[in-house]
Amino acid sequence: MGNSILTVSGLNVRYGHLQAVQDVSFEVKPYEIFGLLGPNGAGKTSTLSAIEGLLQPQSGQVKIAGYDIWQQPLYAKANMGVQLQHTSFQPELTVEEIINLYAGLYGVDPTLSLEQLGEIPLRKKISELSGGQQQRVSLLITTIHHPKLVLLDEPTTGLDPQSRRVLWEKIEAIRERGNGVVLTTHSMEEAEAVCDRLAIIDHGRILTIDTPEGLIEKYREDPEVIGVSRKGKITLEDVFIALTGRAIRN
Amino acid sequence: MIPSSTNVFKALFKADLLVQWRNRRAVFMVLLIPVFILFCWKNALAKIGPYYILSTCLTIGLISIGLMGYSATVSRDRDKGIFQRLRVAPFNPGLIMTSKLLVQLMMIFVLTILIFLGGYYLDGITISAQGYAITFITALISGAVYLSLGQLITGLITNPESVNGATRMIYFVFVMVGMLGELGTLGDKFRKVSLWSPYGTVKAIISTGMQPGHWDTTSTQALMLCLLYAAVFTIIGVRKFRWAVK
Repeated sequence: MGNSILTVSGLNVRYGHLQAVQDVSFEVKPYEIFGLLGPNGAGKTSTLSAIEGLLQPQSGQVKIAGYDIWQQPLYAKANMGVQLQHTSFQPELTVEEIINLYAGLYGVDPTLSLEQLGEIPLRKKISELSGGQQQRVSLLITTIHHPKLVLLDEPTTGLDPQSRRVLWEKIEAIRERGNGVVLTTHSMEEAEAVCDRLAIIDHGRILTIDTPEGLIEKYREDPEVIGVSRKGKITLEDVFIALTGRAIRN
Repeated sequence: MIPSSTNVFKALFKADLLVQWRNRRAVFMVLLIPVFILFCWKNALAKIGPYYILSTCLTIGLISIGLMGYSATVSRDRDKGIFQRLRVAPFNPGLIMTSKLLVQLMMIFVLTILIFLGGYYLDGITISAQGYAITFITALISGAVYLSLGQLITGLITNPESVNGATRMIYFVFVMVGMLGELGTLGDKFRKVSLWSPYGTVKAIISTGMQPGHWDTTSTQALMLCLLYAAVFTIIGVRKFRWAVK
């Protein structure tokens, strides 16, 4: 556990009578992209929100770069970059103004970030950009202060394949700089393509943690996995469906 | 690195000012209504007096700022997840609201100056220098009453459309019942309720503040009640407030 960028232990989150996260524990190391995979309402976003310090868990501990998110929130947050499910920026502000705002909030120089935007027009309002451009700006802001841990909540949802590939490369570049990344996704393709390790989560519990290849190998002989397999070849999706069930979640 | 609170506040305040500037049509409307009333009541000056006219216009403007300006901004930002995005940065989240409140306080100053200028140029109203100075203070206290009421509404209601509907309804009730009740048109019971309501107490301290020589025990009671309203609305509004819709 010593060199972990993120350590989550015994996390429990409850909304009224609903236990959204149950005894979740995992860790993320440098140079690692860790995926949280689960159906709708499985507890992915709640887990992420508790890590981000946006909701108070009933119990458990979250440490980011050694700092407890509840005991030392400013230090923990200074070491973490967050991209929420939606872009969540003031629609009246231009790209340049939003970057200046977040550079001010993290106490960094915005110049370098502005240069990295490439062809994205700085004077355009964020609401006028395409989905892919908005996500690129959002990712840039997420990493504006060079955090050790980057948390991405369904970063590629709604993007076309080209934009998705660009974003994957940017996520991999974050890993290459020695950072840890946690991402939630519904896409098995994305999980296999970019994640080094995966946790499959359902009903607030982590069902299994392994590499994508490791998961397939581990459940290859499982009768349930074979039962849901469509073309004879076992895929990550088969493992996922077998573990979380066929029922459609809302 | 932990950024300094001063730099964080500067960044937030600059962004909030820019947002306010980009929404200048709405801001203009908030400021226009009381000035328009000032213009329309020109011929009633001799009948109802300059202090009644100025204090009514200022009160209506303050209700607009607190209920429509502040609560609309807060509920919109909450609904769009802007607060959550800001809250993951390393600073005290109280700075987010402080910045928004400072923008609204600036609006109160602009409104007060506009009412004074409008009163002078449209209706030929002048008051003493001391009256002008005290009115800035009473306008700030009154503004706090309606900003805290806006906070209370956003604390109790999360849906931005519902917040919008509730603030418009409260605005209408305050202005109509407050004005008619104060004049005694709705009967003695409503007159008393109106006088000690957030509308009546605010109007009383603004009106008497413009003529400091007339400040009496009733004015002090109205001031105390204003402070009480602000404190109660703030405490409930902050306690019930949620940063996110979900």
